[in-house]
Amino acid sequence: MRRLTTLLAALAAAVTLLSGRVQAQTPGHVALTQFSLPNGLHVILDEDHTAQVVAVDVWYHVGSRNERRGRSGFAHLFEHMMFEGSAHVKKDQYMKFIQSAGGRDNANTTEDHTGFYEVLPSNRLNLGLWLEADRMRSLAITDSTFHNQRETVKEERRLRVDNQPYAAALFVDDYALFDSATCFPYSHSVIGSMDDLNAATVEDVRAFHAQYYAPNNATLVLVGDFTPANAKRLVTQYFGDVPRASDPPPVVCHQAFDTGAMHRAVSDPKATLPATVHAFRIPAYDNRDTPALTLLATILGQGESSRLNRTLARQDKAAVAAQALTNPFGPRRGPGVFIILAIANQGVKVDSLDQLLTAQLASIATGGVTEAELTKAKNAHRAGAIFERQEALSMAEALQSAALFLGSPDAINTDLARYDAVTVADIKRVAATYLRPDNSLTLIITPEAGK
Amino acid sequence: MMPARMLAALVAALCTALPASLTAQQFPSTPPAAAPLKPAHFPPFAETTLPNGMRLVLVESHAHPVVSLSLSLPAGNAYDPAGQEGLAAMEAGLLTKGTGTRSADQIAATIEGVGGSLAATTTDDFMTIRADVLSASAPLAFTLMADVVMHPTFPDQEIALLRKQTLSALQLELSQPASLASRFFAKTLYGQNPYGRNPLPASVRAITRTDLVAFQRARLRPTGALLVIAGDITLPAAKRLATRSFAGWTGAPAAAPPFPAPPTRAATQIVLVHRPGSVQSNIVVGNTTFRPTDPRWYAATVANRVLGGGFDNRLFRILREQKSWTYDAHSVLARPKGIGYFQAGTEVRTSATDSALTELMVQLRRMDSEPVSAAELKAAKSSLVGSFPLTIETAQQVAGAVAQAKLLGLPADYLQTYRTRLAAVTPAQLEQAADAIIRPNASLIVVVGDGAKLYDKLSKIAPVILVDAQGKPLTPADLVAKGGMLDLDLAAITAHRDSFAVMVQGRPLGYVLSSVAKTADGYTYTENTQIATALKQTTEVTLDDKMQPRHLKASGMVQGQATQTDVTVAAGHATGSVTAPTPQGMKTTTVDLQVPPGTLEDNSIQMVLPALHWTKGAHFSLSVLTANKNTVIPMTLQVTGQDSLTVPAGTFPVYQAELTGGPQPITFFVEAAPPHRVVKYAIVGTPIEVVLVK
Repeated sequence: MRRLTTLLAALAAAVTLLSGRVQAQTPGHVALTQFSLPNGLHVILDEDHTAQVVAVDVWYHVGSRNERRGRSGFAHLFEHMMFEGSAHVKKDQYMKFIQSAGGRDNANTTEDHTGFYEVLPSNRLNLGLWLEADRMRSLAITDSTFHNQRETVKEERRLRVDNQPYAAALFVDDYALFDSATCFPYSHSVIGSMDDLNAATVEDVRAFHAQYYAPNNATLVLVGDFTPANAKRLVTQYFGDVPRASDPPPVVCHQAFDTGAMHRAVSDPKATLPATVHAFRIPAYDNRDTPALTLLATILGQGESSRLNRTLARQDKAAVAAQALTNPFGPRRGPGVFIILAIANQGVKVDSLDQLLTAQLASIATGGVTEAELTKAKNAHRAGAIFERQEALSMAEALQSAALFLGSPDAINTDLARYDAVTVADIKRVAATYLRPDNSLTLIITPEAGK
Repeated sequence: MMPARMLAALVAALCTALPASLTAQQFPSTPPAAAPLKPAHFPPFAETTLPNGMRLVLVESHAHPVVSLSLSLPAGNAYDPAGQEGLAAMEAGLLTKGTGTRSADQIAATIEGVGGSLAATTTDDFMTIRADVLSASAPLAFTLMADVVMHPTFPDQEIALLRKQTLSALQLELSQPASLASRFFAKTLYGQNPYGRNPLPASVRAITRTDLVAFQRARLRPTGALLVIAGDITLPAAKRLATRSFAGWTGAPAAAPPFPAPPTRAATQIVLVHRPGSVQSNIVVGNTTFRPTDPRWYAATVANRVLGGGFDNRLFRILREQKSWTYDAHSVLARPKGIGYFQAGTEVRTSATDSALTELMVQLRRMDSEPVSAAELKAAKSSLVGSFPLTIETAQQVAGAVAQAKLLGLPADYLQTYRTRLAAVTPAQLEQAADAIIRPNASLIVVVGDGAKLYDKLSKIAPVILVDAQGKPLTPADLVAKGGMLDLDLAAITAHRDSFAVMVQGRPLGYVLSSVAKTADGYTYTENTQIATALKQTTEVTLDDKMQPRHLKASGMVQGQATQTDVTVAAGHATGSVTAPTPQGMKTTTVDLQVPPGTLEDNSIQMVLPALHWTKGAHFSLSVLTANKNTVIPMTLQVTGQDSLTVPAGTFPVYQAELTGGPQPITFFVEAAPPHRVVKYAIVGTPIEVVLVK
């Protein structure tokens, strides 16, 4: 009897190991409370008392897509301006208030949004809301804070892009896929042009704040240890009388796909090894092909056992590592990018690595992927979605993302089903549709000497 | 009229009395007060011991369908055999790279196939193997974890791959001043205690497969091992899976002699690590403290927070905000299993080094001599108490906190009472703890920077021990470029032209054309360099008949920006300027310094090499004018080997020689026979090689 039990357990384990079933495990249903203030601020509450922690997450629906010609880099500059003080908070005091409460905070800018968050012990929810409300209603914009932050942004570019190997390819060079004449919103980088930043005036900054940093252009998400009634009371008290702004001007982008293969040679002074990058245009995040494209990126280049790492790196020893991903900054409401980066091994010519990579991509468009590869990618996606719910902040970001890119935060309860429905035929189809040479930009990166 | 003070009080009273609906729209002008703290809450956990001696702790939580496993063993870096520093870390990296029944690829595919992760890491004391999975895959996580810890095979090709990665990471680490500072700090502070040891390229190369297998047999044993499980699993299930997966694993780790006590320190001492030409200095100051179970820990933590923990503290306020000497200044309390340490540190420009160090010491003394203000004490405590829930938000974080408390031997109620004990720290306890952890009169100070500019100034602060980046003792005389004429065979310098190719990763990316011409009273050396589109430069150096530089002129473009050098040397004095790129952008350096007789010039070293007396093992001390750093740097050229080398120009018997002391070590390959032409040179730590074409 005992022997049989052991045998059965071993068999069960073997089945899990060998057949690679899709895991049945599902995350619990998330019940949300939502309301809007009369001034248009939309509020999403996810009450969760697992830990004595609360995340306050504000997304302004403004990113580099809203910048006009000659003013690129503005949305990101603005993220910095939000730490320069407001009516009741002095410059540099946001972080000090948060840290003295034991919390942490930060912000980020993408093509489509600018987000600000605080994670606090739950008895300091009021502090996070008060700080966010103060800078929404009364940002201090002066010549000196503006010039100061413009320099900081340039320094950040040096640290994040110019000083990191391969970063420029992912965060700057790949925007060349998009046509500046017909789709300016997505044809320039989030970090923007230093010349444009230099040309900006403090008047531009005030106008930008008035237009975009308004309650009717923002969503506030709270996740964690609070009661909705108390949260609603505080939100109403702090944000209720912030005036609404006129609706932002529409964002216009007409981007043709399959316009012909583009090739660029770029030099990267921080890289020690040459690399090849293949970038392809993909549709907006709410497109039905997004789940298949996301899973394809996982199959190709996420993890040690992904296809490119197994073939290019471990089997051919042509690459040190390879990675595939969609949209380096996160989802977009406009056209996006699918990127594959492979770094050449010592002594391997980048051209031969590039040929191997091209052959791998072609083999997916013609031969597809295996059921086992697809199952593995689905499991990874599912696990990632479940792991991220453990932290209040990553849950808040997931809710913001669902609200902005899928139309409702409740999509968090149904989105996994879209991924489970993907078939190997879908993967082959999206590979053939989007990962084609005439829809691509190839960047050959060479390390530079003489730095 | 009513006094203003009373009016204000009346308004305040009225506001409080008004119903909520009326006050709802008022925005407060000051931050709202904290709501009451909820009672400290730490998830309960269960403990048991398995028959093979493994300790098992479960933190059960069904909030999310995830399970986290963390297995810790007394097999950290401190157990590396002498001369094989880096072994435990390599062992950890290799556990998941092959077992008796699974290849590295299979292990990766299996764990990634369920969206999980499995990895092993080390600290000084422990090796920890960690797995995170969805709870449906918990049996798989137990199976894989047991397999990698019980049956690793250490395949040769995986050892070779990891060794290569380790060596290249180490090379980078040894070139970074912040890493050098922490290495010298640990080594000097702990002496013979293994906490003071660090891997070096030689020790990583010395590790063999046999050593890795022996380490696994001796140290990866179940008795005393701690398995912490957190998440969506019950105690009976966890116990059953652990018992079954680790069946057949028995024994206790080999007895290890207790670690020797770190040396005691009676007076403050400075170790100055000379990095010639460094434009900034890394400063760390500290001393050993006490064992992790010491009851003064809570008060010490608060004291450290006031001085240099977090963002808003004394060191940050004074060194960064008041003095603008640095971007960051902070302090830490390390809490290993053995004796811990306190360390404060910052990074400043060279000219501010002594002022910053002096101020740092003033602030350390102030912690010991002056009571901390009530406001500072309150802010430090509220920050520490407030951040505690953020550190135990997920099942994995809870498991990590429980594991740490168990491994360090802390009391059973440590985590449950942590917040309350911190909040209860009194000013008197804080003062007593500060005295114990901050000892400015018996501190170790490590400064990594330009010794030539720092030695005299630092000697006024405390006695200085001077070493180079490899730890070799130096004397102040070594810092000064000695001058004195080199013994040169000037007849070997003939007019000639050389053509070199610049190879990056075996790919030709540019060229260097050089020529030496004789003039009426000396020589002219010119060099034209082009590397892809990144760099284009023409350099012209005129030298006298003893190879002493007279004039250095260079111009070109680097990354689209113009560079310009114009330096004249007359009567032993160099003047001029250099405009060249730095990591911070283009920078113009004014050159104005004494140049002792016998000094060579950085750009034209290559032309002088044929005039040296080349023999096996030869060692040449050179003084080199390095104009872009406005300094004369003592460099060493050491012949390290003989070989036969094939380059496009032909095959040559060569001497290999290492030029060190400058900002970047260079390996030269020089024809063994006259005319001793340079056949190849390579910049160490980069993929750049320059080879003779004709």
